[in-house]
Amino acid sequence: MKELKNCFARSFSHIYVEEGVEEAPLTKEILKKFPKAVKVRIKHYKDVFCRPRQNFFVQESSRKLIIAAKNWELLYRGPDVCHSFGNENFYYTSPALNCVYSCDYCYLKGMYPSANLVIFVNVEDFFKEIEDLIRQKPIYLSISYDTDLLALERIAPLCTTWIEFARWKEDLKLEIRTKSANYSAISSLAPACNVILAWTLSPDEVIKKYEKNAPPLDLRLKNIKRAIGDGWNVRLCFDPVLYFEKWEAAYENLISRTFSVIPADKVKDASIGVFRIPRDYLKRMRRNSPPSEIIHYPYTEREEVYTYDEKIKRELTEKVWSLLKKHIPEDKIFIL
Amino acid sequence: MIFVVTAYHAEAKPIIEYFGLKKVLKNSRFEVFAGREIALVESGPGVIASACATSFLLTEYKARDKDIALNIGIAGAKNSNLRKGEAILCHKIIYNDTKRAFYPDIIVKHDMKEGVLETFNFPVVKEDFPLELMEGDIADMEGAGFFEAASFFLPPHGVHCIKVVSDYLERAVEPSFVSDIIGKNLPLIEGFMSSLETIHRFIPKGLSENEEEIIDKLAENLRLTFTMTHQLKNLMLFYLSKNESLPGELYDFLNIKANSKSEGKVYFERIKKLLC
Ligand code: SF4
Repeated sequence: MKELKNCFARSFSHIYVEEGVEEAPLTKEILKKFPKAVKVRIKHYKDVFCRPRQNFFVQESSRKLIIAAKNWELLYRGPDVCHSFGNENFYYTSPALNCVYSCDYCYLKGMYPSANLVIFVNVEDFFKEIEDLIRQKPIYLSISYDTDLLALERIAPLCTTWIEFARWKEDLKLEIRTKSANYSAISSLAPACNVILAWTLSPDEVIKKYEKNAPPLDLRLKNIKRAIGDGWNVRLCFDPVLYFEKWEAAYENLISRTFSVIPADKVKDASIGVFRIPRDYLKRMRRNSPPSEIIHYPYTEREEVYTYDEKIKRELTEKVWSLLKKHIPEDKIFIL
Repeated sequence: MIFVVTAYHAEAKPIIEYFGLKKVLKNSRFEVFAGREIALVESGPGVIASACATSFLLTEYKARDKDIALNIGIAGAKNSNLRKGEAILCHKIIYNDTKRAFYPDIIVKHDMKEGVLETFNFPVVKEDFPLELMEGDIADMEGAGFFEAASFFLPPHGVHCIKVVSDYLERAVEPSFVSDIIGKNLPLIEGFMSSLETIHRFIPKGLSENEEEIIDKLAENLRLTFTMTHQLKNLMLFYLSKNESLPGELYDFLNIKANSKSEGKVYFERIKKLLC
């Protein structure tokens, strides 16, 4: 029998390009980076992305790239399961769908029918919608929820484009969430005061076991340190906090390592959120998943969201909060 | 299991010989040949025939997610950049009649050329058909029917059309030539099959058949509700994420028969404790 690794085609061996975006500058820029990829013309990205019976777990080992335009629902209201960090008009947008990392607990596995990556190249349409909105009210916008945009920066420089768009717009506050160690891809930019680079941090044990392909803690911390040193607003996200054997020691270690590298007084703020996931997403993940401590954990359901029972939730939150407040003022710690 | 659908016997013959398939003697509308891991059906020409034969075969053999379906046959090429006798793995299949397109997931490495297949309701002959109206690189009369039918059963990485270039949209080709060019490509196709099988062997599994049987038995004996049965399955998976096998004590519950739902509930709570 052949070795499994040798069987899979390399990721992005095929790039599906939607009709109408072939000539978009970003499409050309992306395609230039994959000269050997087979290009397949498609009518609509959903013709590939939404095919029935796709196997997310198989596709993860040989992801394909879909380049498309998004023509409606460019902005969404921030969901209740996410932090608004005290901002009133909380929105999020998805310039890309899916992620190059494969965290076991990632809700994208339950939300999307496919593991393939979609990049929307009609950035100007997104910008126009935001400009219309900020004419009415100031907004807080997260642009890296359904993907890890900074991890994709070398494929599609979307962070750069968005940061430059946001710069000097007083009524727009942007959050770019990431687990990547790809800060160097944007390090030549001058920091923008209304842009927050938000790094998700997890204990090493969690990264090794559950955050496949994502950079180790050390690398994330080094990147954060550089970004802070360059003057960026940096947020630390301890989210999701997971419950597992010896979790207390793992989080103690995580927080002490974090602040042995990062100057706590330079951190803009931090968030804590225990693992939570919409019921329907988890149900779908359970259908295809091999036995998993996270996916098959007997969670409690509350308002269609699965999470730990109150006792565990409280224990996890209080522990991380008490560790964190030794380094960061309480009013800068946001809990969900 | 690997399911192969061909239109003509001349396409099937080399495959039957190469894999040592035997004719399945059954009173059915289609000719079926099978071995231990492969079953082949000859559909006859045309989109509908191909779709019917595919559905028949996949239903007859109770196709499951981990099976593979291949449409192997000949096709005419639009341009001479595709060599006669060359096998093309199709990454897009267009049904000319409706312009609907299908996309297999090309998940495994392979040594074939790739191209776009366009399936017509009629034989495409270049003298009679303006080629600028043809979007595909190659033309056949079955691929789209096969693909749409197989997609009802299998995931898109398990359904593929492999077409060997037989001509440049000229008139009919000799059956012996068809068998010859398909036969020559079978080692390549076998390699592709084997890669897909390897991947399927490693697809993360949920519960084994035996474990599923345990759930069924417990659900019946303990009169578990649908929700409780579902919870039980989830708990077993949770337990198996941390342990090699199910706890021995669980098997003791197999010998218990609950006399009422409330009694079953008591046993269920005990099982829950055991697996958490
Ligand atoms: S980094 Fe975030 S988006 Fe990417 S897989 Fe992990 S949880 Fe999902």
